[in-house]
Amino acid sequence: MKKGFTRSAVLMHWVLAVSIIFLFISSWWMLALPYNEYRVFPFQLHKNIGITLFALLALLLIVRLRNKPAPIKSTAYTPWMHKLALFSHIALYVLIFLVCLSGYLSSSFSGWSTTLWWLVELPNWGWEDDELNELFSEIHLWACWALLGVIILHMAGAVYHAFRRDGVVDRMIHLD
Amino acid sequence: MADTITDKPPKPAWSAWVGIIIIVLGVYLTASHGNELMKHAVMDGKASVEIEGFQHDCPEDELKEEGISLAMCRQATFNTDSVLLSRPDWFRTSQLILMSFGTVLAFSSIFVGVGLVEYRLWAPMAATVVIGGLLAIDVVNFFTVVYAGPIIRQLYLWIILMWFFIHGVLLAAIMAGIHEDKNTSVGNEQG
Repeated sequence: MKKGFTRSAVLMHWVLAVSIIFLFISSWWMLALPYNEYRVFPFQLHKNIGITLFALLALLLIVRLRNKPAPIKSTAYTPWMHKLALFSHIALYVLIFLVCLSGYLSSSFSGWSTTLWWLVELPNWGWEDDELNELFSEIHLWACWALLGVIILHMAGAVYHAFRRDGVVDRMIHLD
Repeated sequence: MADTITDKPPKPAWSAWVGIIIIVLGVYLTASHGNELMKHAVMDGKASVEIEGFQHDCPEDELKEEGISLAMCRQATFNTDSVLLSRPDWFRTSQLILMSFGTVLAFSSIFVGVGLVEYRLWAPMAATVVIGGLLAIDVVNFFTVVYAGPIIRQLYLWIILMWFFIHGVLLAAIMAGIHEDKNTSVGNEQG
């Protein structure tokens, strides 16, 4: 069993990290834009990155399950710490999937079409429906705030392990 | 450490600490510079006051959906106007160039941070170059914004100054770490 995660899992993790933070910052900015042509590119890019994230996360999950790293055998951590780590990882996966899915469904019910990276026309699963658009938009919004909370928890844990230099963080940064 | 999952000799503390800080900030700065790049790429038009017979486009259903008032919708146009009207002609191009370099360097800093945590031989020098590069971008951007007028200064200067301090402190920490390593290796050779 490999000590750390595979190189592809490590790379996907960091690409996901940058993309998610980019989406947070861009969404705060683009929602403050006036209703004109300035909105077109940021909203399309937001959707493109979101859909790609969904696929990338599914791939990461497959890679991670097929290449499980060695379990951490440390006496320094209490059971609640292991449970918290497990919870935050599961919550991260679930929330990212929920955020991407609710965003896509909200867009589907808005009547706007989605062209993936300006190349592939994606089917609209929904029809133009303001109520459903608003519902999925609300789910998207609250799932985003929850995701931000879990990301902060995840980062705090990573910094904690890095400062303790216990080898836990090394598993997610090995490029060998 | 007996209870760790690694059995390698311990790495210097400074490289692990500085490395993880660079990774965390690198992720944020890549996203932040990337967004600035997008902002300046997108905002390339006339301000509302320069358009004859301009009328605010504030559809009622959109206002309801986003939970904003008509006044807030109009203010969104004025917000973009304040950038469009106050920036000199050269400002957009300078930002596109600086933010492109900044995004690439910030993304590279994540991998440099990884190298520092793993204490690779190349990492301290690479970190000096990358963080030094980001610091240089902060300095150039500082003067760019200073000369771009009061409204742009009010919008950007404090953020640039904050990153300047962060990158300055990181560069000092990396250089101190490199010197410490040299002293340790000289001490070991003499011992």
